[in-house]
Amino acid sequence: MSRLAVSDVSVRFGGLLAVDGANFSVESGSVIGLIGPNGAGKTTLFNVITGLQTPSAGSVTLDDRDLRRAKPYKRARLGIARTFQRLEAFGSLTVRENVLVAAEMRKRWATTRYDAGIVADKILARVGITALAEARCEQLPTGSARLVELARALAVDPRILLLDEPSSGLDEDETDALGALLVALARDGLGVLLVEHDMPLVMTTCDYIHVLDFGRVIAQGTPTQVQTDAEVQRAYLGSKATM
Amino acid sequence: MRSRQLVAGLVLAAAFVAVSIQNWAGNDLSLKAIEQLLVFALPLAGIYALAATGLVVVYSTTGVFNFAQGAIGMLAAFVYWQLKVQWGWSTWIAVTVTVFVLAPLFGILLERAVMRHLAGQDLVIQLMVTVGLLLGFVGIAVTIWDPNVGHSVPAFFPEQGFQIAGVVLTWHRFIALCVALALVVGLRFLLYSTRAGIAMRAVVDNRSLAALNGVSAQQVSMFAWALGSSLAALAGVLIANETDMSALGSLTLATLVPAFAAAAVGRMRSLPLTYLGALVLALLQQFASLFLSFGGRWAQVPNRIPEIMLFAVLLMRPAANLRFARLTATRRHARVAKPRSAAAGLVVLVFAIALVGTLLSSANLARLDEGIGLALVALSLVPLTGWAGQVSFAPLAFAGVGAAAFAHWGGTQGHPWALLFGALAAAPVGAVLSLIAGRLQGLYLGLATFAFAYFTGDVILNQPFAFNGQSLTTPRPTWFGISFNSDRAYLVLLSIAFALVAFLLVALRNSAWGRRLVAMRDSEAAAATVGVNLFETKIAVFALSAAIAGLGGGFLAMFYGHTASNAFDALVGLALVLQIVVGGVALVTGAVFAGVFRLPIQILQDHWDSKWIRGLQQIAPGFAALGIIQSPDGAVVAIADGFAPLIPGRTSERAERAKRTRERRAAARAREAKIPQLGLTEPFTAETIGEIERRLGIASELAAGRR
Repeated sequence: MSRLAVSDVSVRFGGLLAVDGANFSVESGSVIGLIGPNGAGKTTLFNVITGLQTPSAGSVTLDDRDLRRAKPYKRARLGIARTFQRLEAFGSLTVRENVLVAAEMRKRWATTRYDAGIVADKILARVGITALAEARCEQLPTGSARLVELARALAVDPRILLLDEPSSGLDEDETDALGALLVALARDGLGVLLVEHDMPLVMTTCDYIHVLDFGRVIAQGTPTQVQTDAEVQRAYLGSKATM
Repeated sequence: MRSRQLVAGLVLAAAFVAVSIQNWAGNDLSLKAIEQLLVFALPLAGIYALAATGLVVVYSTTGVFNFAQGAIGMLAAFVYWQLKVQWGWSTWIAVTVTVFVLAPLFGILLERAVMRHLAGQDLVIQLMVTVGLLLGFVGIAVTIWDPNVGHSVPAFFPEQGFQIAGVVLTWHRFIALCVALALVVGLRFLLYSTRAGIAMRAVVDNRSLAALNGVSAQQVSMFAWALGSSLAALAGVLIANETDMSALGSLTLATLVPAFAAAAVGRMRSLPLTYLGALVLALLQQFASLFLSFGGRWAQVPNRIPEIMLFAVLLMRPAANLRFARLTATRRHARVAKPRSAAAGLVVLVFAIALVGTLLSSANLARLDEGIGLALVALSLVPLTGWAGQVSFAPLAFAGVGAAAFAHWGGTQGHPWALLFGALAAAPVGAVLSLIAGRLQGLYLGLATFAFAYFTGDVILNQPFAFNGQSLTTPRPTWFGISFNSDRAYLVLLSIAFALVAFLLVALRNSAWGRRLVAMRDSEAAAATVGVNLFETKIAVFALSAAIAGLGGGFLAMFYGHTASNAFDALVGLALVLQIVVGGVALVTGAVFAGVFRLPIQILQDHWDSKWIRGLQQIAPGFAALGIIQSPDGAVVAIADGFAPLIPGRTSERAERAKRTRERRAAARAREAKIPQLGLTEPFTAETIGEIERRLGIASELAAGRR
């Protein structure tokens, strides 16, 4: 069992408080949703968790270990992997090489020996992009490149997986497949933190949801609770909207 | 990070005091002496500020860092000479025409023809195009204005001035100072009170937002280049009187490196801080010339103060954030060769070089030898710049370090292992440079290596542990009973060495580490989040690169036979970097291109000597750089692409692209044609749905869930 905890994290960019005392946790075996309108601070929180952004206050812990001094690569080695909202696939490498880089890196701190090539191929099959293995990433459409990022993140064998809008660029069927994959990953013991705008996907895959607005967690609960929360409807969906 | 900067500042201050005490010339530090210092330093600071302001205006509005800034100033100085001295125009008309008519027009021409196409390109491409222009402009100036004929520009109001603090402040220098001060006021007015200036500031703040609000980024860019070019010309004309115009390289660099240092103080944005930087630099230089005396091994230090200051200022910068992938798609079509096919290709290359060697005259044979030696040095940039994306202008400096170590540790006796020592000596120097400068990124890293290259070439390599200002005997070897003394035999040895290193590099590119380097170049942020230790990786690749350059340095030393530090001149190094980028920096064949690029021109010159052919040697590499705007992968890829249809089983990238487009269109047409058959005219069957799911690769879990 692993547990990623974000405690009282605030991030200030000049005069803008992008994240304001955010509190939540992600545990193995669950899919946790992090939703909120654009600019709510979701990606900034991801950057804080992975060490790309230093928080102005608060802390991030993994299994009660404080990550404050851990550089991004250390956090990856401790078991936190992520995808990016703005694509960060290794463009000049092929899809398989993208995954291979991560699988080969993972050997550095893995306790068991394995063949990185076989692991990469297995992950490509699981994410459903085996057919694209030899394509160069920069030539892929957005949706496929997001799946490459997901496969690459899985290749470091994470305990906690952060996904930043993984479904954008995917069509409806592909999104369904992604949802099923996330549920299956959680069943295998992975903790997933999902930032997503596709509400059906969030509602069908997440066990628990945190709603962020203006950097603050304004509501939390199961999908049903969040859907009926009056404040969420006001802040996030507008007063007349329904989910 | 404040404390870090404070510590760095204290260390620098302590170093300054220690150096001053050590090298004190003996003059009293009286009030009058300080007044003299100011009288000399202020006008110089004004000239530097002019040049640096031009650099900053262009960089901040267009994102292009203009290495050719100093060369534009140099050209302007010669044009001014032509108008004023040769054609006898009056000073004011000559200045006006040069600075306010020709220079802005030249800037606009540059922007329209070249710089506009650099927006959004890779940093290496942007930098190399302007480095190419720098070398090309120097080539043009050498061709038009023979450096062996004296050119000197008279001062404004020669021999006249007024006395301050017992020294004469000439009108020329007084004008330089006044122009710089007027410029502060003028720029302030321009940027805050005119439409053009406000548009410029808007573009600096947010280019796309400015464009949405009706600012034409292209017009702003043209205006910035016109202004930058004009400022460069003004600085060039003003400094021409103070420097030796026959040394074109130094005239070019006389304003360029100080402008870099001053602009670095202003973080490439702030004009007041840039002025402060210019002032500090001028004060340091005048302080050194008035109060300090450097002799012997340190004799070159006063000339390298701008480089030292540039390096120090860059190191005080806070660590850069991790780089995210660039939004612009880089066009990289270069195939990654597999070790086996590379081995075959390299064997062919060795035979081809040996064969060409037998056809060449003795003079050209020697040139080819040197070319392959330089190609070996250029190989060092393939992993560093080509794969890892780290900009370095210092390969030839590392070659110099390698050559010195080679000579000291057995090279003078012709021991083969001395080559290894050369490589091993250069590697830690590379690692240390990366350790110090590795926090920097992109342009700043490039500038730091540029400063390092100059300092190493002039100061480090002249130390007793290196060349000590002399030339060392480094004979060609006799190994296993084979003498490599003749140029022909040595050519074979060199090409085998090149092929071996190239093969190792190709194998490395196909290894986990090679993929990691490319991953780091494509996105540092993503590489870090899969566990890549960027710091460690950068140090390793710098060390590897320096080792290859060091090995190449040993081979070059054996080629020369007698080696001195001037064989590793930084400007030659700059040209070598340019040539491999033109050839293709991610490819080992790009290094061959870099080494032998000038050979055809040299041969041409033998048969048809004219000053333009001679000039072409410098002009050609410069303007060849313009080609990389069109083919960023380099000339080798472009050439191979052109020949590809002739090779069975290979098609050119262009043909493949066209084929892909055709296929896409055909597929789209086929899809459209099929629509009526699917669903619209007849309902989906379970089979059709199953087939669609299979084609889309929808995971079995989902399919199971549906059922």
